[in-house]
Amino acid sequence: MRASFVNREWTGKAGQGSADTGNVVGLDVRSRMFVTLLASVVTVIISSFEGQAVLFVASLIYALSVRRFRALAAAYAVMAIMMLVAALCSWGISRAVPSMPFSPESLAVPFMRGAVMLNVVLPLALTCRVQALLTALKGLRLPFCIYLPGAVMIRFIPTFMNDVKQVAETLKIRGCRLGPGEMFRHPLMMLRLLFTPLLFRSLRTSEELGIAAELKGLEAGGKFVPFRVSSWTARDTQLVVLAIVVAVSAFACHLMWGDASSMSAMR
Amino acid sequence: MTRLFPRWSAQELVVVGVFAAASKVSTLLIALAGGGMNPVSLMGKNLVFTTLLVVMLCKVRRPGTLFLFTVINIIVSMLLLGASVTLIPPMLMAALVAEAAIWPRRHASGAANALIGAAVFDFVSKALSLGVSWLFMRENPALMVMVVPFVVIGYFGSLGGLFSGVRAVRELRHAGIIRE
Repeated sequence: MRASFVNREWTGKAGQGSADTGNVVGLDVRSRMFVTLLASVVTVIISSFEGQAVLFVASLIYALSVRRFRALAAAYAVMAIMMLVAALCSWGISRAVPSMPFSPESLAVPFMRGAVMLNVVLPLALTCRVQALLTALKGLRLPFCIYLPGAVMIRFIPTFMNDVKQVAETLKIRGCRLGPGEMFRHPLMMLRLLFTPLLFRSLRTSEELGIAAELKGLEAGGKFVPFRVSSWTARDTQLVVLAIVVAVSAFACHLMWGDASSMSAMR
Repeated sequence: MTRLFPRWSAQELVVVGVFAAASKVSTLLIALAGGGMNPVSLMGKNLVFTTLLVVMLCKVRRPGTLFLFTVINIIVSMLLLGASVTLIPPMLMAALVAEAAIWPRRHASGAANALIGAAVFDFVSKALSLGVSWLFMRENPALMVMVVPFVVIGYFGSLGGLFSGVRAVRELRHAGIIRE
């Protein structure tokens, strides 16, 4: 009861903007999932700068189409910092081990892989509401023993975040400072103070939700009526086709010009 | 209690889902609170993940639970978080090896079986994830040298999680939340 109430409140506040954005874009969650999945496969396979550049440009346009520029900029800022740290470490290693020379060209492809994934994950994260995800998960026709935990997982995340906020507020009231500094100074104490109540709450919630699931008659082979029916439109088909075309183009670029650039990066 | 397929009840499946969410969110929050890739947050998030895994395996005592937990995590990570498909084989392999390790003692009571499963899962998944890291960074092997210490530090956190997991199970059993 508490969990469902909290979730409604959470999605009502956080999901407001997402819903609006989702209406602007008007795409089914499954088509976005497909794009994410395809990108994660193709970006690993392609190892040339040219192929990755095609993927990066296409994925950036996809990310910009959501029109959440501030969130995109913040995500890119965090990623840039992480890349800078990785580049510095790589440079330090090259100074210590001469057999591993440092070259910015060879760092470009791994960094672009990260950027491509960021570009495809952000639209999914920023435009989907919990209910849309649950409907999409149901639409995938997964076995019940996978569907139920998956649905619970997606549904429980906002509740868990709310629990974290409540526990953090309780600790603040008791005079505990929460932040990166305290995490460094007293890591075990912070873990204990935060983690133990969350573990107890998770177990209690799981028991409540489990009993509720059984009382509602959730079982394998049972017929579910989705709250909202997901609709696959022509725009979703267009997105999927476009994603496949981009993947094929990236492969073509990789095969035509990829070998030369890979060799020069190695050198 | 309703039986689903040969094994799990709805209640047990809900526990698996809740713990999958808790492990995903708490590790993400620790990583963010620690400001990225620092050793303390790296150890902390592995510690929390392993602790949750041990508690979950003690709460749901069915063969295949660890495998199911891994499959759920993979599916949600892959579809929603864009985790690479290359992570599937190492994670599934680690879960299968862990399930094989706990199979002979599947009817035993106590936390020992959960402990063995979590330990094997952590070790195999960390070892195989190094292989996946190489796949991602094959253009610049120097980056691998940076990855290995992070994986080792993370593994130390997982080892700590085994001890904290046992302690948590003891407390939860004392509180009557985990029943044999």
